[in-house]
Amino acid sequence: MHRSGRPTGDSTRGRRFEVLTGLVPLVVLVIVWEIIGSPDSPFYPAPSSWWPALFTRGQGEDIIPAIIDTTRTFSLGLVIATIVGVTIGIAVGVSARTDRAFGPMFEFARALPPAAMVPVATLLLGFDEPMKIVVVVLAAVWPIMLNTRTGIRSIDPVRLDMARSLRLSRRRTIGSVLLPAVMPAVLLGVRVATPVALVITLLVEYLTGVNGVGALVGDAQRTFQPARVYALIVIAGLISLVVNSLVRSAEERVRRRHGVERE
Amino acid sequence: MLVAAAVLWELLVRAEVAELQFLPAPSEILLAARSAVTEGELLGRVIHTVGVTLLGWSVASAVGFGLGLILGLSNTAYRFSMTSFEVTRAIPPITFVPAALLIFGFSLRMELVLVIFGGVWPVLVNTIGGVHAIPSELRDVGAMLRLGRLATVRKIVLPAALPSVVVGLRLALSLCLVLAIVAEIVGNPAGIGDGLIRARQALQPALMFVYVIVAGLLGVVLNAIFRTVVRALVPGGDTPDGRSW
Amino acid sequence: MSFECRSVRADVGAVGANRTVLDDVSLDVASGEFVSIMGRSGVGKTTLLRVLAGLQEPSAGSTVRFEGRPVDGPPDGVSLVFQDYTSALLPWRTVAANVELPLEGHLSKPERSERVAATLEMVGLADRANDRPPQLSGGMQQRVQLARALASRPAALLMDEPFGALDALTKSDLEDELLALVAETSTTVVFVTHDIDEAVYLSDRVVVLGGEPAGIAADVVVDCPRPRTQIRTRESAEFLAARSRVHEVIFGTR
Ligand SMILES: Nc1ncnc2c1ncn2[C@@H]1O[C@H](COP(=O)(O)OP(=O)(O)OP(=O)(O)O)[C@@H](O)[C@H]1O
Ligand SMILES: [Mg+2]
Repeated sequence: MHRSGRPTGDSTRGRRFEVLTGLVPLVVLVIVWEIIGSPDSPFYPAPSSWWPALFTRGQGEDIIPAIIDTTRTFSLGLVIATIVGVTIGIAVGVSARTDRAFGPMFEFARALPPAAMVPVATLLLGFDEPMKIVVVVLAAVWPIMLNTRTGIRSIDPVRLDMARSLRLSRRRTIGSVLLPAVMPAVLLGVRVATPVALVITLLVEYLTGVNGVGALVGDAQRTFQPARVYALIVIAGLISLVVNSLVRSAEERVRRRHGVERE
Repeated sequence: MLVAAAVLWELLVRAEVAELQFLPAPSEILLAARSAVTEGELLGRVIHTVGVTLLGWSVASAVGFGLGLILGLSNTAYRFSMTSFEVTRAIPPITFVPAALLIFGFSLRMELVLVIFGGVWPVLVNTIGGVHAIPSELRDVGAMLRLGRLATVRKIVLPAALPSVVVGLRLALSLCLVLAIVAEIVGNPAGIGDGLIRARQALQPALMFVYVIVAGLLGVVLNAIFRTVVRALVPGGDTPDGRSW
Repeated sequence: MSFECRSVRADVGAVGANRTVLDDVSLDVASGEFVSIMGRSGVGKTTLLRVLAGLQEPSAGSTVRFEGRPVDGPPDGVSLVFQDYTSALLPWRTVAANVELPLEGHLSKPERSERVAATLEMVGLADRANDRPPQLSGGMQQRVQLARALASRPAALLMDEPFGALDALTKSDLEDELLALVAETSTTVVFVTHDIDEAVYLSDRVVVLGGEPAGIAADVVVDCPRPRTQIRTRESAEFLAARSRVHEVIFGTR
């Protein structure tokens, strides 16, 4: 009677095959690039020269700390944004009055593009770690807040009646019914916010030169090391792939637990 | 509430309670906005940014839609390229800025390339999604009516995928605007982004706020125009809200 | 007396755009009695049940009491079984955890496990305790809801078309299980249904709502002896008489 619809071995293999065949154009591109490009091209240095470029001129030690820095800023910002976004989202989701009071302010604030706020934030808050995190939070909080609000509003009224008729306490209603019910919406918000948070992290680092992969790319560009720029782009891409797939699998798991899988 | 917040902000700055040295009061922002408008500087910058946004968006839309249609319709094309697109898409567009700067210099070309590169993805993904989400019953209808391949695409696939494509186009529009501003902040010395950076160098926080607010307003206005046009062209084609950075 | 309603009036809809659905409904339900509520769709059956459950406040001037105490908010000792089991059960909790929900914060952990196990045993789902509701059939999910409602040992059960979405066989099985359970625990039941046969088979009285706003159009006593069985009871003269009486009233009120 299990209806979890787990893929059979065959289709998993099929999907894995698809993932590999899908890489063909990228592989072809890299090979062609390798053949045409030369290691000293100012624009398109051959891919084989990228990796070594990370370590030339004693710059090798910067890489790992930069990755750690970026990941820390990004994940701290995302976690804070989630806590703040969920709290506000629930507050405005359950109370129409709060929503009316703060709605216009939120509309105004979320219309401001975070990327454009970065230069302002560097002026107001200075060039340090807290500034980076504040900017990331400001950028990432909106999708989470809005999705939480929508999630709260779309909870089936029967579910709320159920909680009342079982005489659950307020705390238990929030903890056992509201929060779990709104989890898929929250995670959807987090999934949308993840690339935003990463982009803003890298942008702040790039603009301010305060640590992280973004600062390294900016540095490599200003000192004219194209191979190093490309290598760092690959690293940023890998970070992005990893965090996106982590968030997606978390979302997937929650959805499955919520029985959304049922056709 | 908005007014109350502004008044509170003004009071805090006046009373120097707010510790941030450079935080301008709302009144200063209004003054800065007035002088930026009367000097004509703002208008020129807005025109540049909007122009680049629309140009880049058009190209990105055409490319994204064309590619998306091919990948959505052809299983072979999908199987032999989708991962490549997924991987490329995952790379944060901001990291392409340095590469684009190296290749194209501090130029309009750099700005356009960045805008187009970023704008392609939402259109591509939503076009593929729209084509894939067409219920198989609808395809069966095409088969039963003995429509040819081209007619099936034109009469069934395109209309059915349209709402999703429209969402992609709208997401791309906001994204293109932001990317144009980012490119101006980091490289191309023109437009709103450049104004922002110059105001920063001149230590004019009030003017910076003006540019940020104008950027926000532009996003809202472009979005509204897009919705109006869509509603006029495709009845009932209004779309749920999306987000971009 | 379990429930006492005196000239109950109830409005639905937003303030300003509201409509009076129930007017001057007076109804008594004795302890241990099984009463069915019938009436055409939209007449106000669910509204009446929500008023009894304390989920909806009746208009000023109405009196609703449960075991002598005025109802303001869901009263202790009353459990509600919803028609829509997919919304009423929490899909992220196991069957056992769903049944445990109303006991949390009231009983100790071992007491809760024991109560949950016993209740699941009663509804015949002991072996599905660790599944999640979406993995169960509709009939099983409705049993889980029944178990959750019974877990707090209520004095009264309110049920809103609980078997409406089930196939005929599952339905008659659950009807018999319900009758056995409430007989054993001498629980009062107020049962909303669209199915005349079901109402008559289960109930001591069938109350028909009618009119707009709705009042009580008829109150039919079913004289069949208990315990009842699907075949023998449904053939009895008392059953047939009550059934045609309800039939008349319902079609007469249209
Ligand atoms: N939240 C609401 N807002 C507005 N009208 C409502 C609301 N809830 C119920 N109604 C109206 O009140 C009337 C009675 O509804 P109720 O749900 O009690 O009917 P019912 O007898 O249970 O119907 P059914 O047999 O279809 O379940 C209906 O006409 C319905 O349209
Ligand atoms: Mg009803």
